Formats: sequence, structure tokens, C-alpha cells
Amino acid sequence: MKPSLLRSTLLLAVAVAMMLVWVFPVAWGLLTSLKTERDVLAYPPTVVFEPTAANYADIFSGSASIVPNLVSSFIVSGLTTVLTMLFAIPAAYALARLELPWKRGAGFWVLATQMLPPVGLVIPYFLLLRKIGWTDTYQGLVLVYLTFALPFAIWLLVSYFEEIPREMEEAALLDRAGRLGALWHVILPQAKGGIAVTVVFVFLNSWNEFLFAVVLGGNTVRTVTVAMFNFISLEQTQWARLAAAAMAGMAPVIVLGLIAQKHIVKGLTVGAVKGGGRR
Amino acid sequence: MPAQRAGRGERRFALALFLPAFLLLVATTTLPLIYLVWSSTQKLDLSMPWLSGFAGLDNYAQLGGDARFWQSLRLTFVYTSVTVVLQVAIGLGLALLVMQVRAGQALLRVAAILPIVLAPVVAGLFWRSLVLAPDFGILDFLTRAAGLGSYNWLGDPQLALISVIAIHTWQWTPFAFLVLLASLAALPPDLYEAARLDRAGPWRRFWHITLPLLRPAIVIVVILRMVTALAAFAAIFAATGGGPGSATEILNLYAYRLSFTELNIGYGSAVATVLLLITLAVAFLLFGLRRSR
Amino acid sequence: MDHKDSRRRVRRRMLAGAAALAGAPWIARFAHAQANLGAYQQARVNWRQAEGETITVAVIPAGYFNALEAITPEFEALAGVKVRYDKVPPGQIRQKAILDLTARSGTYATHAADPMYYDLYVSNKWVEPIENYLGDAKLTDAAWYRPNDIIPAWRGANSVGGKLYGVPFDGESTLQVYRKDLYDAKGLKPAESFADVMKNAAAVHDPANRVWGAGVRGFKGAGQNMYIYPSIFRAFGGQWTSGGALRVNGPEAVAALEWYVELQSKYAPPAVRNWNWPDLADAFSQGTLGLYIDANTSASVLVNPERSRVLGKIGYARWPKGPSGKRVSSIWNWGFPINAALSEKAKRATWLYIAWATSAETQARTSWKAAGPVKRLGLNRLSLWQSKEFAALAAGLGANFLPASIESMQNDLDVDWRPRMPQWPAVGETMATAIQAALVGQQKPKEALDEAQARIAQLLKG
Repeated sequence: MKPSLLRSTLLLAVAVAMMLVWVFPVAWGLLTSLKTERDVLAYPPTVVFEPTAANYADIFSGSASIVPNLVSSFIVSGLTTVLTMLFAIPAAYALARLELPWKRGAGFWVLATQMLPPVGLVIPYFLLLRKIGWTDTYQGLVLVYLTFALPFAIWLLVSYFEEIPREMEEAALLDRAGRLGALWHVILPQAKGGIAVTVVFVFLNSWNEFLFAVVLGGNTVRTVTVAMFNFISLEQTQWARLAAAAMAGMAPVIVLGLIAQKHIVKGLTVGAVKGGGRR
Repeated sequence: MPAQRAGRGERRFALALFLPAFLLLVATTTLPLIYLVWSSTQKLDLSMPWLSGFAGLDNYAQLGGDARFWQSLRLTFVYTSVTVVLQVAIGLGLALLVMQVRAGQALLRVAAILPIVLAPVVAGLFWRSLVLAPDFGILDFLTRAAGLGSYNWLGDPQLALISVIAIHTWQWTPFAFLVLLASLAALPPDLYEAARLDRAGPWRRFWHITLPLLRPAIVIVVILRMVTALAAFAAIFAATGGGPGSATEILNLYAYRLSFTELNIGYGSAVATVLLLITLAVAFLLFGLRRSR
Repeated sequence: MDHKDSRRRVRRRMLAGAAALAGAPWIARFAHAQANLGAYQQARVNWRQAEGETITVAVIPAGYFNALEAITPEFEALAGVKVRYDKVPPGQIRQKAILDLTARSGTYATHAADPMYYDLYVSNKWVEPIENYLGDAKLTDAAWYRPNDIIPAWRGANSVGGKLYGVPFDGESTLQVYRKDLYDAKGLKPAESFADVMKNAAAVHDPANRVWGAGVRGFKGAGQNMYIYPSIFRAFGGQWTSGGALRVNGPEAVAALEWYVELQSKYAPPAVRNWNWPDLADAFSQGTLGLYIDANTSASVLVNPERSRVLGKIGYARWPKGPSGKRVSSIWNWGFPINAALSEKAKRATWLYIAWATSAETQARTSWKAAGPVKRLGLNRLSLWQSKEFAALAAGLGANFLPASIESMQNDLDVDWRPRMPQWPAVGETMATAIQAALVGQQKPKEALDEAQARIAQLLKG
């Protein structure tokens, strides 16, 4: 009994330490967003101070408001995620489980498109979008983001689809529901955890993307990552407001992550290592 | 005969599911790739437009003699391999941990997502000025208070590389953690039952059962993390700008500097193409490892 | 009939009232804008000759451009030209502007341009010579606009082959910014020579109490550490060209770099290696720096009560004299060029916008006449710097701010302070890397500069 208790405590300590390391810089950012500029620059760094909501007021109203940018980001990331999942889920399933002709080659080719270095793609995408008049438009940026999101999503999903026991599929097929029905009613619910994780990361990647958002966006399409620079001017960095903007920028994705967590949780309670039974 | 027909039907179904994504990718990646490779064979320097013209493989030949390129390559290798190994090891370790220790699991999952959600641009800035700056940042304050002295985390050439690796690992390990956690959760539990009855200890269970089953997922995570590490831009740029000197100038940053700061687009494209080829080669090798069956 | 008539009359009156109510804010704004336009309409120019055009202007997020944006509706009312702003982060604006220019897509009618980039622009034929518009009496009333009032060195910096390509809008010069209280306490005067800088720094250097003697930009970049080094280089008597070719590793260059490294290593906090101007201003405003040499316009940041702890303790002075006897300040201005890929009418609309933005009246309206707490300091005309309204504005900024700035702009500006060539972006970055390599001890100054020279020679060969 003793060694296992020791082990558990040790493991718990490691987990807590990890959590602190991960949370600390973000927690520091949160504290910074509640300080006045004077307190931010104070040394020794202040943990006890008089909090102010002024920074949040500044970023949500007035000339430096990032609300239109939050909306922009929502539209871009939302569209990218929805479209990506629509295309990726069927493609991943085909790669994982079906008799796709030239499966290995096709699969590797999809993965290979992820390897294209974004730095090398900025100019050609700019020129291409310019040609069709899609710079500074939502459809243009979403199209470019799809290029990065699709291979990513497909291959993440392939791993999850491959984990689904074949017996389940065969049973579903015998059920005369047809292949599409099998996919919809049996496979997808099984892979809910994996799909949730994929959705979160596809959304996140496009939400935090910077280089293409700057070059291919403009007056109309100005995402939150670009708007951060409202507070990083050449004259000064407004740390407190920047921190507030960063927190505001994080909030939607955290909410999405929390929602997605629920589906991962379900998977955990079912497939517990400690001898949990099959449902 | 029904089997044959079933096979053909299944192939058609598979194609119907796969083609939309495939065609979309072909449409959006072919032309840019052609442009990239074409421009790498051109002398295309915006600051010296009178020199423009076909250059064949001259740009690539120039790479051979470019010391900064080779240094950048070396840095990229170190940076990528260290951060990916760390991310997967820590992520996997934590995922296993979470499966065993129920307490605080939900909290850990919430905490896990925080670093990735912070925009890399902001992360780079915060780390540079508020955390790592000697005499002004909070880490320095803490190390001094703990009697560990003061270090110039981003200003010392050796430390800077370690620091940017740490920042990148800090930001992206949660990805490996969450993805592998979801994978672990979906594993069939009866295998464990069989192993337990066999009186196999937890380490043997992990090594002989869990790991092989997780291998495809781990390989994918490694490949995806490698791609992100190679494409890392915003955070390093904000934290060090590739400095001090060129101590943290990974290949991606070097290509950006060449194409967009020095405006030597032809040469920059050549570096980007080399980066692409290296990435493809490594991915191809890793991809072969996926087949666990 | 009477009944119907009166009802019609009432209805008409009600409609008129409703229209007035709906239109009231617009009318009020219009009226207000019209009333304000008197100063511009004095110019004998038809402001409305490009009416109906829409132009997009790329700028960086900054107080001076925000101020311009705030009063842009006045221009729209004046000229009937719609203006849209695209605020691009400072690290990407050059790239984005260049992408637009090289694709000749004409997206940005004008943009905030780095003066060192005009050689690049002109060799690619991306921008129009301004004289075509300045010299055209239909487009410019020289008596009203007074182009020669615009700071000559800035115009010189924006010129290639003697022809102007971008009109300066906002600029700065670098000065010594020092802690007057600390200097006074030790009986120090602001440095007159480079040796004095070291002496003063040593005198106030007290890291145990978190006061460092001096610091200048350390962050690597053509516009960062390579913004201060050239002043030191020129002050040491360095010349950028030798025998017609660019030479960066001569004895003056090495001496300048050695002085820079010595100052930073001995008297600046170690974090300075990654510090750009805002970081220096932050450190100074927290009282941790005795001296820094950087843009005079940081004054407005230093007197911001929200962050500054050194109110009333700031002094300004010109650059010290180098061993060659010269004081060399920096030349910087954000200028507006005209995109050559536009239609003729759009180009005229763009010129009218630029003329409006750089006119004395608009400069005043974004400075002391501006609403709100932030008043621009980097005005583009000497006459404005010497005006009493500006003197009133500058009074609270610190000791000697105005005299130092004006003298600096009149005497210490050197158009060839940095090597002006189309390959500047690459050359600047190479030098920046070398300077930082020397600073962090990766290489000795001579080594670093030799390597930079080799790399630049290779680069220029093409």
C-alpha cells in the first residue's frame, strides 16, 4: 500500500508542478492586465496592488477597441473550422478505414502539403489572391488557412479513426444502415473525443495565426493577433492594455476548449485503464 | 462475387469521401509550390532589380558557401529535435499520469490549454520583457531571491537558444498532452484486463501494450510538432528577432530575413525550398514508422 | 380644401422635421467641418478636383497617425475624397508596402515610408517624383503650402538624385535624455564629448540601487541598433564609402563599435541587448537609467503621469561631439510617397491628401490643437517648432527640450548619416547583426565588422 501511495503523491506533485509552470506566465499576464502601467513596470514585481478594470474598458471601447477585431477573428476561425471539419472528416475516414486507391501515396501527399514552409508561401499567396481580387476578404484568408488546416485535421483524425475497433464498424454495416449511416451513427460518436480535440486545435491555429493575417488581411479583415499591435507602438508598449487584449483574445478559445473537454471526458470515463468495463 | 462488388463499391465510396479535400488541396497548393521552386531558380532581388533573370541552381550553389545558412541549419536541427522530443515525452508522461491520478484532472486539462491559447506574438513579447529580462523580469527576481543568481536568458548566445526552446516547448507541449490523452482514452480496455490477469506490471503493460497501440498517434504528433517547430516564427521573432547576433536564427527565420528584410527573394526561396525538402525527408522517414501492424 | 391643404402642410412640416432630426448629426458634423476648412480654403487650389476617389493609406499604429486619422473627416469634407486607413504593425509595414508596390496592384495610394527605402523604391520605379505635383500650380499653392518650410534635412533624406519622392509627415532627431536631478546632485553637465559620456555614466552608475549609468539601443535591426551606431560612426569621422565602394570595417568603424560596446557593457543593464527604444524609455521613466540617447519625441512618453516616476527630473542635450568634432544626430521621418501604379485621378487625390496632411495647419491640428491628451511633437516644419504655441506645449517636457531639438535639427543632421542605396535593407541588417555580435561578445568588434564587410561585398556583387 505504502509504495503505491508514495507513487501517487509523487505523481501528483509532478502534475502540480507542471500545472504551475504552464499557468504561471498566463496568470502573470492576467495580473498585468489588472494593473496600472506604473505597477506593471514596478520592481520588485508587485503581486499585491490595487486592481483596475480600466484596461479592459480601454480595449473594449474607444478608438483602440478590439471588438471589431474579435468579430473578424471569429468569422475567419469559425469558417475555417467548419469548412475544415466538413472536408477533413470524410477524407480522414477514407484514409483510415476504407479501400482507397493509392492510399499510402495519397495519404503521404496530404501530409506533405503540411510541410510547405509558410515563409515561402506568403508571396505566391499574396500574388494569387491579388489576381482574383481576394486580398483583404474573408474568403481569401479562409482559403489560405484551409490549406494549412486540412492536412493537419485529416491526419489528426486518421489516428482517432484508426483506434475504433473494426468489429464496431462491421456490426454497423451488417445493420444495413449503409456505409454513410455507419459513419454517421456509429463511427463519429465513437471518435467524439478526437473530433473535439481536432476542432479545438484547428480553431486555435487559425485564431492565433499572424503572418498571413497581416499580409493578406487589411482594413476589412483585421484579426485579433494584428490588433495586438494597437498597443505595441514604436513609442511605447502599453503593457497593461496589451495584457488585457491578450486575455480577451484568449477567452473565446478557452471557452471552446472547455466545451470540447466534455467530450474528451466521456472518452476517459469509458476507457479507464483501471479495469473499467466496456459500455 | 459479392465481395468484389463490395470492394468496388467501397472504393467508390472512399473516393467520394476523399476527393473533395484532395482536390481542394491540389488547387491551393500546386501553384504556390511551383512559384516557390521557380523563384528559387531566379535571381530575384528587389533591391537590385537590374540583376533579375534566370539563375538556374546558382542560388543553391551559393547556399553551400554561406556560413550563416549552415549555422542556421544546425540551430534548426537542435531546436526542432529538442523541442519535439521534450513535447512528446512530457506530453505523453502527463497524459499517462492523468489517466492514473484522478484528482485535479479537470483542473490540469484546463491549465493545459492556456499556453497554446496565448497568441505567440504576445507570448514572445511577454517572455522577453516581463519574464526573462535580467534586472527587470520576474524570473530574474525569483532566481535571485532563491539565491540562484541572475542570468541573461535572452541576451547570452548560448542561453538564448535554450530560452527559445523552452518558450516553444512551454507553449506547445499541451498539444501533445491533449492529443495523446484523447488517444489513450480511446484505447480498448480489455487488453489491459488480459495483461492484468497475466500479472504484468505497469511498466510492462505500458511498453508492450500501450506504446505499440499509441505508436501511430505518437508518430503523427511528432510529425505535426516538427512541422510547427520548423515553421515557428512569431514567438521567436518577438522575443529575440533571431539574435543575439544570429544565435537563434532558425532556418525559417533566415528565409524570412532573406526574402522580406533583405528582399533577396530568389535566395530566400532557395532556403525555403531546402527547408521544405528537409521536412519532407524527415516526415517520410517518420511516416514509415507509423505502420505498427 | 382648406382642411386637405393644412394637413398637407403639417405633413410636409413633419417630414422636414424628421429629416432634420435624422440628418442633424450629419449636418452638424458637416457644418463643423466646413467651418474648420477656412484655413485650407485660403489656398488657391481646387481641393475638389479629384472628388469621388477613394484612397487607402497604410500607416503604423502610433499616436501621430491616430491623431491624423481623427481629423481625416475634415479632409474628406474638403476634397470629397474618401480615405481608408490600414494600420499595419511596424515590423511588417515595409514588407506589406513593398509587396503591394512590386505587384503594382495600387492597393495603397500612399503609406508611411522609411526614408532609407526611397532608393529601393526609385530603382524599381515604384513611386512618383513629388516635384510633378509640387510644381504644378493647379495642385499646389506654393505660397500657402510653403514647401521649403519643411525641415530641409528630412526632405534631403527623402530625396534620390536630388529629387523628392516622399513628403515628411512626422519625424524626430536623437538627443541625450538624462536625469537632470542626478547630474545636478553630482555637479555634472550634459556630455560635450564622448569621453564625457563615459565619465557621466560612471558617476551616476549605481546598479546596487538599480540605477544604471547609461544605455542605448541594443536590439538587433536596421532600424534598431543600426539607428544609433551610425551617429557614433560619423562622429568618429567615419565615411561609408571608400574609393567608391561601401566600407564598413575601417579604423573609425572599429573605434565607434568599441566605444558602443564599452558603454553598453560597463554602464547599461545586461537586458539592454534586447532593448529597443520603448524599453529604454520605460527603464528611464522608472528611474533606472541615468542617460539614454534616442528620439526626442519620447518626451511625451516620459512625462505621462500614468507610468513615469521621473516627472520634473528630465533634461535634454544634443549629441556630444565625437573625436572628429562633429555632432551627428539621426535623421528619421515618416514620409508619404505616391504610388506610381495608381490612375492619374487617384494620384492627384493622393497628392491632395498628402498636401493636406503635411500642411502647417494640419500639423498644428494634430499637435497643440488636438483634442485629447496626446499632442504630437514630431512636427515637420521648422516654423512650427519655433512657434510660441509649440513652445507652450514643450514647456512641461523637460529642461532644454526645445533648444536642444531645434539646434539639433538645424545643425546636427547629416543626410549621409547612413549609406543610402537600394540595397540598404540588406546592408542595414548585416550591420545590425555584426553590432550585436560584438555587443554580446560573440566576436570582437574588428572581427564582426570584417565579417560584415565580406558579407556586404558578396551581397552587392549580386
